[in-house]
Amino acid sequence: MTDVELAKKRGEDHLKDTLPAIKKTFVYEDTAYHLPISFALTGTAVHDLNTARDVFSKTGNNPIVASECLLAEKTATQGKEPAPYTGFIGDTVIRKLGYSLVDGSILGLALVIGSPDSPGAAAAICRELQEKYMLTFLAGPVIPTLSDNGVKLGLEYRLIPLGSTPAYGIHFVDIIARVAMMFGGVTPGDAHRLLAYAAERAKAIVIVFPGLSDDEIALVDGMRVLGFPILSLGDYSGGAWIAAEADTIVRKGMEAKGIRVNVTAIPIPMGCSPAFEGKSIRKEEMYVEFGGGRSTAFELLRMRPVGEVKDGQVEVIGPEINSMKEGSANPLGIIIEVAGKTMKKDYEPVLERRIHNFVNYGEGSWHVAQRDLIWVRLSKEAVAKGVKIEHLGKLLASKFRMDFPQLLDAVSVTLITDPAKVADARKEAEQIYDERDARIKGMRDNDVNTYYSCTLCQTFAPNHVCVITPERPALCGAISWLDGKIAYEISPSGANQPVEKGTVLNAQNGEFEGVNRFVRKASHGEVDRCSLYSVMEYPMTCCGCFEAIALMLPEVNGIMVVNREFKGITPSGMTFSTLAGTIGGGAQTPGFAGISKNYILSDRFLQGEGGIERLVWMPSPLKDELKNRLVQKLVEKGLGDFFDKIADETKAMTIEELMVYLEKVGHPALAMKPLV
Amino acid sequence: MVSDAQFGWSGTIGEVFLGATKAEGGTRRVSYRIGGGTTLPFLEKETSSPSPLIAFELCDYPLFWSPIIRNYCGDLVNNLEEWTKTADTTYKADLIRLHLNSTRQRNFTDIPAVGKTVETILSASSLPLIIEGSNEPKIDSEVFQRCGETGQGERLLLGTAEASHYRSIAAAALAYNHSLIAQSPIDVNLAKQLNILLKEIGVPRDHIIIDPYTGALGYGFEYSYSAMERIRFAALKGDMDLAMPLICSAADTLNIKEVREANPAVQDAVAVSWEFYTGIAAAAAGAEIICVRHPKTIGMLRQAFASLKARAGPAGVQ
Amino acid sequence: MVLKALDIYKLLPKKNCKECGDPTCLTFAMKLAGGKADVDLCPYLDEQAKSVLGATTRPPIRLVKVGVGVRSFKIGEETVLYRHEKTFYHPPAIIFRVSDTQTDAEIAAVTRRVRDETFTRVGTDLRFSGIAIENTSGSAETFARAVAAVEHEQAHLPPVLIAKDPAALSAALVHCGSYRPLLHSATAENYKEMCALARKHGCPLVIRAQTLDGLIQLVKDCTTEGVQDLLLDPAPENLGAFVIRSTLIRQLAITRSVPELGYPVYLDASSTGQQDAALVLGIVKYASVIVTSPLAPGPAKATLTLRQNIYTDPQKPIQMNPGLYRVGNPDKDAPVLMTVNFSLTFFTLEGYLESSRVPCFMLIVDTEGLSVLTAVAAGKLSETLVRDSLKKFGVENEVTHRKLIIPGYASPLSGRIEEATGWKVLVGPRDAAEIGEFLHEEWQKQD
Repeated sequence: MTDVELAKKRGEDHLKDTLPAIKKTFVYEDTAYHLPISFALTGTAVHDLNTARDVFSKTGNNPIVASECLLAEKTATQGKEPAPYTGFIGDTVIRKLGYSLVDGSILGLALVIGSPDSPGAAAAICRELQEKYMLTFLAGPVIPTLSDNGVKLGLEYRLIPLGSTPAYGIHFVDIIARVAMMFGGVTPGDAHRLLAYAAERAKAIVIVFPGLSDDEIALVDGMRVLGFPILSLGDYSGGAWIAAEADTIVRKGMEAKGIRVNVTAIPIPMGCSPAFEGKSIRKEEMYVEFGGGRSTAFELLRMRPVGEVKDGQVEVIGPEINSMKEGSANPLGIIIEVAGKTMKKDYEPVLERRIHNFVNYGEGSWHVAQRDLIWVRLSKEAVAKGVKIEHLGKLLASKFRMDFPQLLDAVSVTLITDPAKVADARKEAEQIYDERDARIKGMRDNDVNTYYSCTLCQTFAPNHVCVITPERPALCGAISWLDGKIAYEISPSGANQPVEKGTVLNAQNGEFEGVNRFVRKASHGEVDRCSLYSVMEYPMTCCGCFEAIALMLPEVNGIMVVNREFKGITPSGMTFSTLAGTIGGGAQTPGFAGISKNYILSDRFLQGEGGIERLVWMPSPLKDELKNRLVQKLVEKGLGDFFDKIADETKAMTIEELMVYLEKVGHPALAMKPLV
Repeated sequence: MVSDAQFGWSGTIGEVFLGATKAEGGTRRVSYRIGGGTTLPFLEKETSSPSPLIAFELCDYPLFWSPIIRNYCGDLVNNLEEWTKTADTTYKADLIRLHLNSTRQRNFTDIPAVGKTVETILSASSLPLIIEGSNEPKIDSEVFQRCGETGQGERLLLGTAEASHYRSIAAAALAYNHSLIAQSPIDVNLAKQLNILLKEIGVPRDHIIIDPYTGALGYGFEYSYSAMERIRFAALKGDMDLAMPLICSAADTLNIKEVREANPAVQDAVAVSWEFYTGIAAAAAGAEIICVRHPKTIGMLRQAFASLKARAGPAGVQ
Repeated sequence: MVLKALDIYKLLPKKNCKECGDPTCLTFAMKLAGGKADVDLCPYLDEQAKSVLGATTRPPIRLVKVGVGVRSFKIGEETVLYRHEKTFYHPPAIIFRVSDTQTDAEIAAVTRRVRDETFTRVGTDLRFSGIAIENTSGSAETFARAVAAVEHEQAHLPPVLIAKDPAALSAALVHCGSYRPLLHSATAENYKEMCALARKHGCPLVIRAQTLDGLIQLVKDCTTEGVQDLLLDPAPENLGAFVIRSTLIRQLAITRSVPELGYPVYLDASSTGQQDAALVLGIVKYASVIVTSPLAPGPAKATLTLRQNIYTDPQKPIQMNPGLYRVGNPDKDAPVLMTVNFSLTFFTLEGYLESSRVPCFMLIVDTEGLSVLTAVAAGKLSETLVRDSLKKFGVENEVTHRKLIIPGYASPLSGRIEEATGWKVLVGPRDAAEIGEFLHEEWQKQD
């Protein structure tokens, strides 16, 4: 057992002692970066003992710096090693390699170093790295071990043999230093930036076999400061080196560095494309179905800690398709488990909704509804082609990884078809659904400091931006505060951006300093102030896709609402269409506000004007649509009889008729503070 | 006395440099500074602000090119070297834009040929170059690598990055210090998002030129026109993610019905009018590079730009 | 400063008397805010309120009518600097010029050209707008004869009379004074006589000065003389001068900073020596009357197309008439491709279908101009619409097969369309550019 900490210390001391023995000058041909590592760290071109000593002390006696200088002198003295060893690689080739890193044809870099006990294990590791689009550099006796066992080496195989001893592993670091300077905008001498680049952008891992000297251990351990995880197969203990087995070491390394292989193909015997989304599977066409009232079925997506999900794993618990009778209804539980460094519990329902789309992309699969109301079918045609239940799982696992490459590192799918197990799992799922509902229901504007904006309709209204709060959804009705938050976290440069509330300027109107600042910028200076809860003063701008319009009726001191579907004239004297034409396009029109239908149920609706009692008129179909939920809210507020005082087109069509009606029922708005 | 209208600008258009002269490490006879505008097009106080540049487009696979051009340029189109020289010395373009449309043939794999083509045109003309690479994901990576490497040091403009594939062209821009064209489908927000994606991968702002995609006149041109106005407006109001120069290339122009079905006696004139009108309108909206395919459009555009820069006579305004 | 509807409402009598023609004061207030009503329509406003409201609600750029009858045109009443802010309302008139030194035959030929030449695009007939006659000779008699030659053609086109000498104009007006011609031009030297002529015949008048201050002064002078329908000619000596002056005029007018500049702009495209470029810049940079020498086919079509494009309302996309369209010569086995009636979609798809050289039918359904993606999201593209369109346009009589190709983005509707129509649905590509490949590969595979 080699103690890494002790060996490292000995190695560092030894390097420090050996450095002064440098006699000759040294220079690498074909590079503009001198000794790249010391050049990147200090800006000094090192070619002799003096400069070497200089940078060594400047970098706090760094073992990597020492190793670089020593190997450079050795190369100058003894000459380059013969083929297949590459030794130092010139800039032209490095530029090409860097190019492949940036364009994604290479996912990352690996250094494999040391003397493997088992040639087979070494070969397997290299093969796995190749399959996962890693560019692998080799240093030490691992090289002859591989070539003696028939493994082909060279740039074209992405297995590059640097040198005969592990010390040549230093070239791995000088390559990364050069990539940082060529592509990463790192200026020579900016050590801080170099370290940041190496840690964040360079996807590099180190795999260590036994047989490293103390110097070499110091060198390898020194790479940790660059953010490279060190994984070891040898008997090294201690330090921060991660011990692993040969069959998991590559996966562990890539996970540790967040390197993910992109999924491009879906390995199932049926087509999968958005083109199939609308295709339904009729009763005569189906082989088997799940749920839909005929059997128990549910779906659930859950987040798990990174490392606990085996990417691509699909398990079917219970009978497979060949045990199911044609035309039968069977129980099904679809459980998707996902892991990702940036994944959050909040995103579960958003991702879960995608199960519906993905299953429908399958040429022979069909899906309807969500949660424990799902109805799924597989067609006879698909089953005849060999499609099984597990293929449904493979489809889901692949699509989730393909569509969320940044968010999800690993996706695994369990499909339960055993009736008892489905029933149990469903009970658990229902608890989770309830928890989620409870979380969203109670959200209040005052609970959060950040609202979210949406600029999706700016194509039609250049200066418009919606500000979405928990109690006020977007005026198109499609996006809630949670949707905006999740969209932002998943695509930070997308259409939804955070809006810091800032100080409260007017609580009743919902005017906030941060919101004002945001709106001013987003409207290019056109709009100065925005009150989130007011229709009369600085209401939010409107694009054109609002579901309804709330507007003032000064004659009756109230606010009316008309929705898009209502085609008739309103007591304002205008139709929805006329109103929409005037207030849309990004204008801020005091007295008029575009809203979503559900906002009418919010406590914040008309808060600026004194509350829901301002509402004097609404088209009757809209009244019906909202009736149950609205009445419930009104009762909670102690306004049980208010609903019937809201007029509609059957009670009043003109302003004069409305005035008469409101007086007759004793509508509260008549007695409230004057609107105008 | 009427004073200047106050627009309240708080930003300027960023500058991009194309072409590298000997002093700058290249072999071009001139290098251009594009962008830098401080107000709407042609309202600058300084007459020294650059006029829009005129780029002549040619290709390495004429079968995929418009028959009108094949007809007008004749045999030249089959000799890329001569065609390039002519574009430089006879047509007198400011820039040459090479479309490597040979890469669009089915199962194209001859990457070395791509490199040779780029070398040919680099030596045929010493004007700064725009190179339009492939659009085929399978060969993208190699094509851009080869173009970038071959043109290393010349500060080329590479085309075209889109939101769904930009990594290879960005890699070539980074590796070999070129600029790139970022194209979005006539949508200001998508243009902005692409610029942010490019920023995240490391492409510096001053290496990006925005292509909002230009529909042909009569076939969606007004959408592009307004997208350009909006991008310019946002940039001048301080949005740094949109403060890049614009390029206009209405590639469909020679395929549209009015041009295709024009009387042969006037077909060239119609084609030139179509390109000219598109180019002037785009320049008025903010385009700093205007791409054309018919040689006769170049001189006309140049004359018009000269007249736009002249400032003789009092206006009581400046 | 621009007043908002609420502020305007506060100044109105709030009687809802309906005498302005609107059912409520609120409606009237909204129209005033949008520059779409005349404050004079309200009989209960006092003079002070009227002048405050008038100044701030009157359209910032005056509406001027030129010509009479079917070919007359209106210009002005614009409200924005960029079309994307709202829209440009009144397309510029493109006027062909003849000189009075040309022969009667030449003059007649140009007149007939403007009368007859029609370029049809996207279901709209595009035409040139009028005839300008220029007094190049300097002689009143020659000028009058030239105008007579134009009128002889009975084309009833709006005339533009260009002369420096009021006497020449007076002579010419004998032949066309009742046709509301546009008179060019009044300068600081001759505005009194020019205004007298304009007043006498009730014509709009162009005023001309090379500085904005000069124009402002002339506006004041001419309005004092009783002429309200004015156009501004900033007399640009080059293209740059035009862009600068026209942009400033528009900006100062719509912000109401300089109400005296609130009039449409006139441009003589040949005065800058760059006629084609001036036509383009005139169209995109706010000219309302553009005079040019008669155009060759290329510039003629391009001018009309550019004008049509720029003056399309960005919020009201141009729609095609729904129906069954043919590409090439489709027979009974030809494919039928369904898509929406948004003109851009139609032309883009048509273009790619033509290059694919596969004869086919395009079934264009009425989604009120919405694109595929929007129509699907809004529910406007539905299986009932497709079913009804198939029936309405008799598609079943045109082809023997029953296979319908739908756009890629309409895939969510594929099953429902099959059920509603009984046709088999093939989902095409999302990008129209791939339709050629799709037809050659997928369609040929069909039995």
